[in-house]
Amino acid sequence: MNVFAGVGAGAKEGGPARGGGGVLLELTPHKMALCHLVQVFAPSGQQAQAGPPFPFESVAHHNRLGLFLFSLTRSCEDFLEPPLDELLRQLKAVDDLANGWLCDQLTTTLTGLNSPDDLFNFFDKLRGVLTSPDGANVEDEFLDPNSQLGVFLRCCILAFNSMTFEGVCHLLANLVVYCSSADTSYDLAEDEDFNSEMEMSDLMDADIGVSAGMFDKYSQGYATESHMGESSSSLIHAPTTLHNFDEANIFKADDNPTCLRSRWQLEAYLNQQADILEKDPSSVPLNSFNATMTQLQTLAPELHRVQFLQYLNAVSHDDYVASLDNLHRYFDYSAGMQGLFSRSLSQFQDVIVGKYESALLCLGNLHCHFGHPKKALEAFTEAVRVSQMNNDDSCLAYILGAISNLLSKIGISNAVGIIGSPYSLGNNIGLGTPLSIQQQLLVLLKRSLKRADMLKLTSLLSFNHISLAKFNLKHVQRPLVSFGPNASTKLRTCPADVFKNLRLSSHVLSDFGTDGLSTSNDNGSFSTSWLRNLSAASSSWCSSSTKSRKLLTNDFDNFHFHAQPSPIPTSVLQLAGSTYLMRATAWEHYGSAPMVRMNALVYATCFADAASSSELSLAYVKLIQQQAVFKGYSAAFCALKLTEEKFPSSTNSNIQLLRMQLLHERALHRGHLRVAQQICDEFGVLSSSVSGVDIELKTEASLRRARTLLAAKQFSQAAIVAHTLFSTCYKYNMQVENASVLLLLAEIHKKSDNAVLGLPYALASQSFCKSFNLDLLEASATLTLAELWLALGPSHVKRALSLVYQSLPMILGHGGLELRARAQIVLAKCHLTDPEFTVSEDPCAVLDPLNQAAEDLQVLEYHEMAAEAYYLKAMTYNHLGKEVEREEAAACFKEHVTALENPHNEDVSLAY
Amino acid sequence: MASSKENYRVELRAAARQLGDRCLYSAAKWAAELLVGIEPDAAPSQSAAMDTPSSSSAAAGGRLLHLHRSGGSSFRRRSRLGGAGAEVGTPLGGVSYVSTPIPDDDPFDAGADKYLLAKAYFDCREYRRAAHVLRDQVGRKAVFLRSYALYMAGEKRKEEETIELEGSLGKSNVVNQELVALERELSTHRRTGSIDSFGLYLYGIVLRDKGCEGLARTVLVESVNSYPWNWCAWLEIQSLCTSSDILNNLNLKNHWMKDFFIASAHLELKMHEEALKRYERLLGIFRCSDYIQAQIATVQYSMRDLDEADMIFEELLRTDPFRVDSMDIYSNLLYAKESLTALSFLAHRVFLTDKYRPESCCIIANYYSLKGQHEKSVLYFQRALKLNRKYLSAWTLMGHEFVELKNTPAAIDAYRRAVDINPRDYRAWYGLGQIYEMMGMPFYALYYFRKSSLLQPNDSRLWIAMAQCYESDPLQMIEEAIKCYERAANSDDTEGIALHQLAKLHSMLGQSEEAAFYYKKDLERMEVEEMQGQNFVEALLFLAKHCKTIGRFDEAEHYCTRLLDYTGPEKETAKSILQGLKQAQSGFPSMDIDHFAL
Repeated sequence: MNVFAGVGAGAKEGGPARGGGGVLLELTPHKMALCHLVQVFAPSGQQAQAGPPFPFESVAHHNRLGLFLFSLTRSCEDFLEPPLDELLRQLKAVDDLANGWLCDQLTTTLTGLNSPDDLFNFFDKLRGVLTSPDGANVEDEFLDPNSQLGVFLRCCILAFNSMTFEGVCHLLANLVVYCSSADTSYDLAEDEDFNSEMEMSDLMDADIGVSAGMFDKYSQGYATESHMGESSSSLIHAPTTLHNFDEANIFKADDNPTCLRSRWQLEAYLNQQADILEKDPSSVPLNSFNATMTQLQTLAPELHRVQFLQYLNAVSHDDYVASLDNLHRYFDYSAGMQGLFSRSLSQFQDVIVGKYESALLCLGNLHCHFGHPKKALEAFTEAVRVSQMNNDDSCLAYILGAISNLLSKIGISNAVGIIGSPYSLGNNIGLGTPLSIQQQLLVLLKRSLKRADMLKLTSLLSFNHISLAKFNLKHVQRPLVSFGPNASTKLRTCPADVFKNLRLSSHVLSDFGTDGLSTSNDNGSFSTSWLRNLSAASSSWCSSSTKSRKLLTNDFDNFHFHAQPSPIPTSVLQLAGSTYLMRATAWEHYGSAPMVRMNALVYATCFADAASSSELSLAYVKLIQQQAVFKGYSAAFCALKLTEEKFPSSTNSNIQLLRMQLLHERALHRGHLRVAQQICDEFGVLSSSVSGVDIELKTEASLRRARTLLAAKQFSQAAIVAHTLFSTCYKYNMQVENASVLLLLAEIHKKSDNAVLGLPYALASQSFCKSFNLDLLEASATLTLAELWLALGPSHVKRALSLVYQSLPMILGHGGLELRARAQIVLAKCHLTDPEFTVSEDPCAVLDPLNQAAEDLQVLEYHEMAAEAYYLKAMTYNHLGKEVEREEAAACFKEHVTALENPHNEDVSLAY
Repeated sequence: MASSKENYRVELRAAARQLGDRCLYSAAKWAAELLVGIEPDAAPSQSAAMDTPSSSSAAAGGRLLHLHRSGGSSFRRRSRLGGAGAEVGTPLGGVSYVSTPIPDDDPFDAGADKYLLAKAYFDCREYRRAAHVLRDQVGRKAVFLRSYALYMAGEKRKEEETIELEGSLGKSNVVNQELVALERELSTHRRTGSIDSFGLYLYGIVLRDKGCEGLARTVLVESVNSYPWNWCAWLEIQSLCTSSDILNNLNLKNHWMKDFFIASAHLELKMHEEALKRYERLLGIFRCSDYIQAQIATVQYSMRDLDEADMIFEELLRTDPFRVDSMDIYSNLLYAKESLTALSFLAHRVFLTDKYRPESCCIIANYYSLKGQHEKSVLYFQRALKLNRKYLSAWTLMGHEFVELKNTPAAIDAYRRAVDINPRDYRAWYGLGQIYEMMGMPFYALYYFRKSSLLQPNDSRLWIAMAQCYESDPLQMIEEAIKCYERAANSDDTEGIALHQLAKLHSMLGQSEEAAFYYKKDLERMEVEEMQGQNFVEALLFLAKHCKTIGRFDEAEHYCTRLLDYTGPEKETAKSILQGLKQAQSGFPSMDIDHFAL
């Protein structure tokens, strides 16, 4: 979510409007240093001559400085301007060929400015850079006044010209402090002693080594505690750690004049921080981020967006009170566009920022985030009313999207009438009968989609398509009006709709230009990362060692350094990525393992940069789940370990859940019931309503509880739990979950030797699966049905066998280890119980499936079923009279049975 | 008694001199004012009593100051005869004070002349020069004046820089450049014990400016414990006491100056009763003190006792016609009383006295606001805020003006700034809530009303506002509204809105028992206040019907007969109810009551 997207445009339009009374750009010592460097870069009065101007040895060298200056004017890694020594260090990396001539020259020039008159002369000279000399040809090189640097220079000159004498005095005073703060830490430039090449390069190595260290701190990314939001403090204190300062110098470092960057850079900085907050909130420490923001706010009290960041920070750290306060404060100040005394006249209006209805939209989202659906709905209804009052169509579209998000996210039972607002939906349909929540949701979604399409809000359009896909995946669309027997009602979900929506959703990748939300793509991040990479890259040139290259753990930075910045805004990438994640989920439902893997892989590789940590981890979770189902637990746990390095399970709920799921499954398979129970309890804690209600988590917790009870042969209790779960799912209209619960019930009855009772459940589950196109689950239900028939006696073998054959293609194609093994065993059992089948005629028909099953189950460590497979095998060999093989199979059987019955060292099950 | 008064006088005299000598002007002014405010001893007071008839007349303007003042005092005694008059003979509040010896000044040897020069420079606002003259002096007094001069120089520069450095993103935070050096020096002095109470006071201010509030409080308390007559130090402590907990945990010596402090702090923390009690006790000694009178008037204004406060302010202005302090409160009062003439008179007077005081601008703005010229009013509030950006009430009042001008964004902005300056300002929170409610965002407004009622839980107006939000058409959260109205009804709802609404809402929900209860209460209230009107009729009608349905016919009859006194459709309804009653009671077919009546 790029909150301030479009800021660039806003600033551009707002700037000149403000320029009437205020200042376009505030002149600071740092900017003067840049001006000086620009002058060196493009000296005035340059006659046509071959090659680059004086200090530069090659065109590449010259260009490097140009790129460096460009980046400096655009970078946004901090809100404060860097001190001189920082600038010199970077400059040194750029200027490694000229032996620090540039640094020398810069410091002498700046320290030479001692009186106001010197400043006047300095800027007078600057003017020469912009005017082409007399008799210059078109081909002659001089600075284009309309280029980025040219505009920068002109702004600086203008700012100086419109400065009062007091301002000049302040600038001079700041300049003195600026230079002196560098003197103590950086005395290389003036030091005469370092003449020999050798010593010089040594020093540079040391210096660059240090900055490489700095860089490493950055390149470790957001996971470490050195988070970017703190970069200002780390910048200020960096010299102290780098150079072993004594106390006096610490004071000096603090004395650095606190000069804010330009407004454009500040806004880019805030955008960047918002992105980080969204991507990975756990990497941003609540208090230190707030401290940084407070510091920024004291420096620029009229920059109200800071409060919005504080709100975001509080939200992502689940601080309800603070987020509420900050939200209200931000919108109080900014909803009427700008502050009282500096009201801008610009006509530009952000979609998100600047209106009261968006305040309500945010408030609703806040309540939605904290799990207050009623309050959220109140806020949204009010938002709808206000935006209708103000004719704010685009906001209305967003609000509708948000409401549908709320409805789909939070389980609201059918019994509760929620939308009793003036914006009541039931009336509009004109049927008189109240709509169910699901129907309301669908109507809302369609309406929001239509509006978004009309208003060309591509991001919202894409979001709505995804929501619709999600809806279609889980709900059967019944026609709202159906009369008589003639109306043909096909009660099935429609996978084609799902994928059509998903495909439409990814159109955002090509259409984002039309959306007001995603216009600005140059947000300064390229310049920022260029500067950051500068020191690291240069160190690898100088010391010609690849050590630092190896340290570049984050490929993303590398990518950015060598290539152009991505032309697609992050928010668009996120939406496009979500469609892939959604595809993976859809295939998970429809039961195609390769498609799940493929889509999850696409997401994890192509959209990792833009993805938030929770979404990225979700893709990983899907991949690991596949691993567990198809390759067994050891492989899955290996992958989990790797993933946990990236996302610590203590902070990422997705990973935490996955870990518990895997442990639970393995404990059940191994027969470690106590461990399984323990993990079940943990699930129960997680799903308790203390920290908001997550209906899906709740269902999963009770599903696992029922399964644990089943494994412990507590059939009646398991049945009770499953029944309650079924009624809950029914109440909240969770049909997909119903199918698996019904299957579980069938399973329970099967295990408790009540095959007749189990049959209806299995059939019901099967029909649920059919109508929701859950093919794999359906195959599994068919298999269970076959088992049930088989349990009824040999007379039903034919029917069972045909059912097994029916399900086999799906199971062998897409099923996991367990399902495949089960199918094989059932197949073998069918043959063995079939009175018309004799083993000796066709031993392979039994032995092949059994061997395959035994192999798979071994990998899965599923003792109970493995024992069954070996038992059947031993019996078959017994029939065939092959005693050696029989003994072998029997030994294996015994092994598994003892492992199941005497579960020793259960604690192993908790480790991986 | 006389001797104790004499003690006060001696202390205050010395204090005024010492404070003035150290260029702590406003503290010296305060002490001197208080010195004059001590009730004159018996002999002159008697002569004043004889003068009373003539001096209270308007022709007293040309009299000697002394007589004029005592004339005023006798007027005051008349106005508050009860409490203060009886307490004259007893020692203040019956508590024994710790007497603090008046410290002697440093004996000057060589530095005295330089000190004189420095003080002269200081008086001419040439602070750096003053500090420079004293650069090598080591006496405590000289050290203090030098540090103080440096501090003032830094402050002056800070003010200038704030204007010079104002950028497009607002004012950058300019700090007093001298703070670091001053803190270093004063903390060394404090460690070595070579610091006097004035130095501690300065140290406290420096610490406060640096943001170390806890330490600042400790240091200031130390200062007032050793030298209690420095009112500025007390004021600083007060500004650092943001809650009554902090106030109660201060380790203060029980000097009589503490009473002034506690009273003022109570006023600030809105503990009006306590403040008033304390001030009235202090008035026993400092009978003629304008300061105490002004404070009492402020308390009474805050307690919405407008007439009493008005009288005191008027008297204050008579005795001290060029006073500007706390006249903004007087103007608020006059605004509340809508007395245009008095307000214009006041505005004219302060304008002539000193037009560049935030208070003056505020008074003029109030005048324009009362005149209905809200744009001009905003202009003057803005001027007041230019002079003092942290002038809380001006922000809030300007918010009100913007509301009048229908400029909602500006109003929200103004209120918000008030809230950010002092988050305890419930008026601004309330204003914010009102605006959002006006904009048709009752759910959003609830947050603000909640905030304001949290700060002022006993104010029924806030609860009623919140209840009206809940009750409003879009929200329709009747049960929450009932809860709020209940709070309002429990906290002295003078207008009786809460009771009536409670009754109505309960009857709407079909809870007629509760509804009847509240209607009855409302009826009682209206009877006491001798108010009659639509609400009265409505209550009677409901009660009549209700009593009839639950079978208490006597009561029903009572209510019906009372209803007959009113004209309108209710009368007819009452008649038919009465008929029904008769039928039910007697079992007879309806006898024509009307016929009997005729």
